[in-house]
Amino acid sequence: MSHAITAQDLSKHYRVKVRDPGLRGALYALVSPRYRDVTAVDRLSFQIEHGEIVAFLGPNGAGKTTTLKMLTGLLYPTAGTVTVAGCNPWTGGSAFKSRITLVLGNKQQLLWDLPPEETFRLNKAIYGIPTEVYEAQRTELVDLLGLGPLLDTPARQLSLGERMKCELAAALLHRPTILMLDEPTLGLDVTAQDAIRRFLLDYRARHNATMLLTSHYMADITALASRVLMIDRGRLLFDGSLNALVARTTPLKRIELTLAEGATPEQIARFGEIHHFEFPHATIDVPRDEATRASARILMSGAVVDVSIQDPPIEDAIRLAFAEAANTERPPAPPLVPLVPRP
Amino acid sequence: MSTAALWARRYGALIRAAWLVDLQYRADIALWLLWGIIEPAVALGIWWSIASAAGGDVDGFTQLDFARYFFAVTLINQLTQAWDAWSIDHWVAEGEMNYRLARPLNPVHEAIADNLAYKARTGTIVLLVWLLAAWFWPIVRLPVHPRRWLLAAVAIVLGAAIRFFNGFAIGLLAFWTTRATSLIELQMALGVFLSGQIAPLDLLPHPVAVIAHYLWFPYVIAFPVSLLTGVGDSASSVAHGFIGQIVWLVVWWGAYRLVWRRGLVRYGAVGG
Amino acid sequence: MVPSVADAAEPRLELNTWAVLRALIRLSATLELQYPANFFASMFGTLFWLTMAVLTVALFYSHTTHLGGWSFWETVALLGVFNALVGVVEGVFRPGIGSLAEQIRHGSFDLVLTRPVDAQLYLTFRELDLWRIADFVLGLSLAGYAMHKLGRPLDAAHALAFFITFASAIAVLYSVWLALMCLAFWLVAIENLPTVFDALFEAARYPASAYPKALRLVFVYLLPVAWTTTIPASALVGRLSMLGVVESVGVGCAALLVSRLVWRAALRRYTSAGG
Repeated sequence: MSHAITAQDLSKHYRVKVRDPGLRGALYALVSPRYRDVTAVDRLSFQIEHGEIVAFLGPNGAGKTTTLKMLTGLLYPTAGTVTVAGCNPWTGGSAFKSRITLVLGNKQQLLWDLPPEETFRLNKAIYGIPTEVYEAQRTELVDLLGLGPLLDTPARQLSLGERMKCELAAALLHRPTILMLDEPTLGLDVTAQDAIRRFLLDYRARHNATMLLTSHYMADITALASRVLMIDRGRLLFDGSLNALVARTTPLKRIELTLAEGATPEQIARFGEIHHFEFPHATIDVPRDEATRASARILMSGAVVDVSIQDPPIEDAIRLAFAEAANTERPPAPPLVPLVPRP
Repeated sequence: MSTAALWARRYGALIRAAWLVDLQYRADIALWLLWGIIEPAVALGIWWSIASAAGGDVDGFTQLDFARYFFAVTLINQLTQAWDAWSIDHWVAEGEMNYRLARPLNPVHEAIADNLAYKARTGTIVLLVWLLAAWFWPIVRLPVHPRRWLLAAVAIVLGAAIRFFNGFAIGLLAFWTTRATSLIELQMALGVFLSGQIAPLDLLPHPVAVIAHYLWFPYVIAFPVSLLTGVGDSASSVAHGFIGQIVWLVVWWGAYRLVWRRGLVRYGAVGG
Repeated sequence: MVPSVADAAEPRLELNTWAVLRALIRLSATLELQYPANFFASMFGTLFWLTMAVLTVALFYSHTTHLGGWSFWETVALLGVFNALVGVVEGVFRPGIGSLAEQIRHGSFDLVLTRPVDAQLYLTFRELDLWRIADFVLGLSLAGYAMHKLGRPLDAAHALAFFITFASAIAVLYSVWLALMCLAFWLVAIENLPTVFDALFEAARYPASAYPKALRLVFVYLLPVAWTTTIPASALVGRLSMLGVVESVGVGCAALLVSRLVWRAALRRYTSAGG
């Protein structure tokens, strides 16, 4: 198996019942229900290599979770094919399920009333993990996540962050090679989020695990993902590194200048488009790939005492990408950037 | 690890977890049990009054028969009770089905283990209550009859299995509708009549008793009760009872398999 | 006279209990109208349960003519009263005070305490399951039909006696619910306190006199819920003396008073213990 995950023209359509509000609507829907087709996922194709961490980006309802569920075998695609860890997710059976794990940030599998240790023991039996493997993996996870003092406290008494750490440990006891993480840091404070991120990177380094993740926290994406799949209304808008995404959506870089005595707008305008001028500060926009050269030239011109190149925040880049997608009309819209070439 | 050993470990772990969770909710379980005891106690009270007003017996059922009958009903109802339809409804409604489906274990096993743990607990309590009652109140003592008790034990296991798969199959309708639990409640209300929980089947109007015999309800409660109390346990009716149990077990197991497979397809098509 | 700063800053609040009640009921009605299918489900359920209950009574009476001195149609009238009370329990008590244990556990009860209305009142009418009015109406209709079958047209005196005893019964049931749910302040671990009520109320389906002595002792005197159906039904079929009506009013008031005291004690404990 050459890729960890392959998806080819993956599509998912739902039929949803529509009904008018009120009693009449309810009665009418009972007699002759009307349906509307909704396309949740529209011909997605991508490959993910072993050891890659890939993030799904997209607004709510973009189709991220639907895609994740199709890759896990919980949902059948309407069309297209998927191979995950060498298996077809919905026919792979136990062999497939033992190779993956699913972590849902808003739903937990920990036994609510019992200490996490009990969930671990249960999962050991469910996945049929041999005792030596279990002990080794458990020790490793307890160390990496710092679970020692939590193991004999009932899950309901743990904080959200502590619970998520235990949740991850329970989900990883069977050493899955593919991790599907749906909002793994949902609702956690900054420290806990950071701990989860560091753990995931560490786990990847140790086991060369492949991770697919969705998150609303940009910090998760920037810290973890080497590659992003941007989805909007079920379609793939972008597939590549975050840097490439930024370069694509914001072709200009902004240079902040601290002006020398007597510098005039005319002097500065030679280097780029002035965005703002208010002595002794000014900002100009220059093409991304000329930013370094331009700043060197400005410094040498003697009109400024200091320059600093600003990268627009990634959130802005993503917002711009989605805005661009929204402006393009629906059916024709090809991906904005060529997809990663298929081998 | 051999397959048998894997399953033994799985069930060991599942039952242990269920037992520990139940331990957290022992006060709640005691309350459910209170209900399970008061319902037959009410029926017994009424029949007792009717029998005493009628001069000692109703169609051959004496007060003593009624007392033993409803003690047996209480025990067997507890040992065959199945709440799984509500669990499934909760799993589907709250999205907790997702991680269960992502594990290499059919959730039916979790439900079976839950039932074993729950019934071991409540069945023991009812049995103790019965023993205590028998200490002070000789008429609810059963004649010692090991062979019949053994047959009753087998019948209780089969009855519990029928009720379990029946409840699980209907509970799985939660994949299609949010009203699966209403359906099981309606069925429970019918079952109170047709399984012999409100009265021995012989006291029901004849057409109702006939209808009951073509359904699975009597095989869940009335039949094991007859074995335990020794009323109407001729060789032919015992054979008839066990055959009926096996037929209905196969029917409801088949229904569960069918609904499970179609349910997974449905769930895969529309999600939770 | 110059208005003080405090007068100017603080808006005058007119705390009107009735306005709060009206608002809560309107809210429940709006919510319920979102799901009209629930009405049919509730209606169907009620009809089904009533049929099963009448069939059960019919089964008993197929083997006897009187149960504890009550004839078939008298017992059916009692069953109607029982079902009307079920409507009140399911429509008002369970969604309202029945949610107390859960609210304490999830901390939303603190929110109730911060409101400038009586917490008991607010909690009682916080949420209503209005469709259960079907149980109430169908129950009373059944009782009316049974009265018709008995050939006893309801005169004004009996109707008044029934109305008074029925109100007393609601007061007693409410008090039992309130006192029971107050246990949640002490026993936070129990989820299903209403189950205790459900189990005991089972016994109220039949006339209290229908039970053998030992059971009557438990159902009627130890756990007095069985009275709540027997007394109004007795008034309806003309078995209750004037004295009995007066007594029931006394019992109802006493129950409300005691439960209010329990509630106050529980609340004191809650606020002083800091949750």
